Amino acid sequence: MDRLRIPWWLAGGASAIAATVLIQDAYTTSIINLIAIAALTAASLRFVMLIGEVSFATAAFVGLGAYSAGVATTILDWPFAVALLVGPVLVTAVSIVFGVITLRIKGPYFTLIGFAFTEAVRILFSKTEFIGGTSGMIGIFPPPAIDAWLSTIVMAVVVACVFALYAIEKSDFGKVLVAIRDNENIATSVGINVLFCKVACFAIASFCAGVVGSLHAFANNVISPGDFSFLLAAFALAYVKVGGESSILGAVFGAIILVLLDSYALGLGAGENLFYGGAIVLAVLLMPNGLIGLVTSASRRLARARAGNGPTLNRKTA
Amino acid sequence: MLGEDSPLLKTTGLTRRFGGLLAVSDLHFEVRRDEILGLIGPNGAGKSTTFNLISGFLRPTAGRLEVFGRNCTRISPIKISRMGLVRTFQHGSYVRTARVRDNILLGTVHGLSGAGRTDRNRRVEETAEILGLTPYLDNSAGTLPHGIQRLVSIAIAFAARPKLLCLDEPLTGLNQTEVATTLNVFQAIRRDFGCSILLVEHNMKAVMSVCDRIVVLHHGQQLATGTPAEIRNNDEVITAYLGKRHAK
Repeated sequence: MDRLRIPWWLAGGASAIAATVLIQDAYTTSIINLIAIAALTAASLRFVMLIGEVSFATAAFVGLGAYSAGVATTILDWPFAVALLVGPVLVTAVSIVFGVITLRIKGPYFTLIGFAFTEAVRILFSKTEFIGGTSGMIGIFPPPAIDAWLSTIVMAVVVACVFALYAIEKSDFGKVLVAIRDNENIATSVGINVLFCKVACFAIASFCAGVVGSLHAFANNVISPGDFSFLLAAFALAYVKVGGESSILGAVFGAIILVLLDSYALGLGAGENLFYGGAIVLAVLLMPNGLIGLVTSASRRLARARAGNGPTLNRKTA
Repeated sequence: MLGEDSPLLKTTGLTRRFGGLLAVSDLHFEVRRDEILGLIGPNGAGKSTTFNLISGFLRPTAGRLEVFGRNCTRISPIKISRMGLVRTFQHGSYVRTARVRDNILLGTVHGLSGAGRTDRNRRVEETAEILGLTPYLDNSAGTLPHGIQRLVSIAIAFAARPKLLCLDEPLTGLNQTEVATTLNVFQAIRRDFGCSILLVEHNMKAVMSVCDRIVVLHHGQQLATGTPAEIRNNDEVITAYLGKRHAK
């Protein structure tokens, strides 16, 4: 296991949570919620990318998480904590079955199955009357006592989940996942059960997608099938690509930049989609390794420049 | 229970057909305890197919495969590997984007699954030392010279501490010094860890010097089996593969 940069994560996580406590403006709070939820969606999608797969099923799992929270709150009247957790648990169970069946195939075929699954689940939501059909569900409120703290809870849960994904990626299991992505045969040849590892990776990522769904339901109070189309996964992929795939922080930075850009573009009226889409295309073209790639190469150049100066100075002093 | 004299690997009439092509036919050979067995033959002779069959990556069309005394004809590669037969691949048998340390770690994942991080790290460092990879442990495998990358491939497999190590052309592209170093590693692995080796290789000088016995394949058929001296003097082998330079 690699060394975890716990102090940096503590500082970053504490700052993000503190921001939700200090900022009281409703609009800004809603943007922060959007960013947090988008960041965890992107981090979940990226976690599956560790085994080399792009999972459009992420959108379906977010939807299942959201509807589970909705049913648990508005129909079953379950406590908030249980309603928050029931989605992720259900989604994990569904993803294990889905993964065992579909993770035997790879690449575009897996992506297509995820796409089809997401659309099938969306249609299922819209055809099921007791969860509101095409209109969706309304009135998914947290208890009044914690309503004011919801943004803080959302951020704390997102920080905890993103850190957990980071820690797993840095563990020996994370290294096995990367090996499977790069050369599956090597892993098999040393007795590693590749399918088991892939399903475990998929289940962990899907648990987080379920958490995203629950948080989305409580943050928006209203959900509808249209919120969980394949576009949700496509946007998460854009966050990962713009932020940079090489680090989980890329998914977070990508979500921050693109959600802010999206909320700015909303004011542009008809030009909104053109502006937003153009920004994504430009970012991917100009920064093939994303924001993180840009930062990494700049810091490497700086380190090289420093190293280059070192020996010269030594020679002079000698 | 495997007896002292029982072979670690035994093939009986092992055959594999791809549609109309008979890739390997009626193979009968065995790998004995503490032995380095060479598997040689020209390109297309069926060496890689044989490797895939004995490691479970391919199922035979006919015949029987016994690994450590157990019938493994229809067993998955994961199970065969967990029994103690671990193989490398001809091309890029390592993870390019990972550090050498993380590559070697892969070999320890199953065998030391119940052990702690310290035990796994110890195994990684011990393996790196045996293969001379200690200075490269923190380098990314993709950035290293070809010879070192070949050793990384062997290190991943050997970190699993197999009873039988199957190496697919481990000396390809190595210079003379690297070949000599790698052959010493093979001897050390056998001597110190009791690990037998099945070696597919085109470097005849190396095969003749390190192997106890050699199996020769030609057009998927088993042309000859014997000691290096016997193979060198076999007229059929000389005509089909060795030529006059490596003979006598």
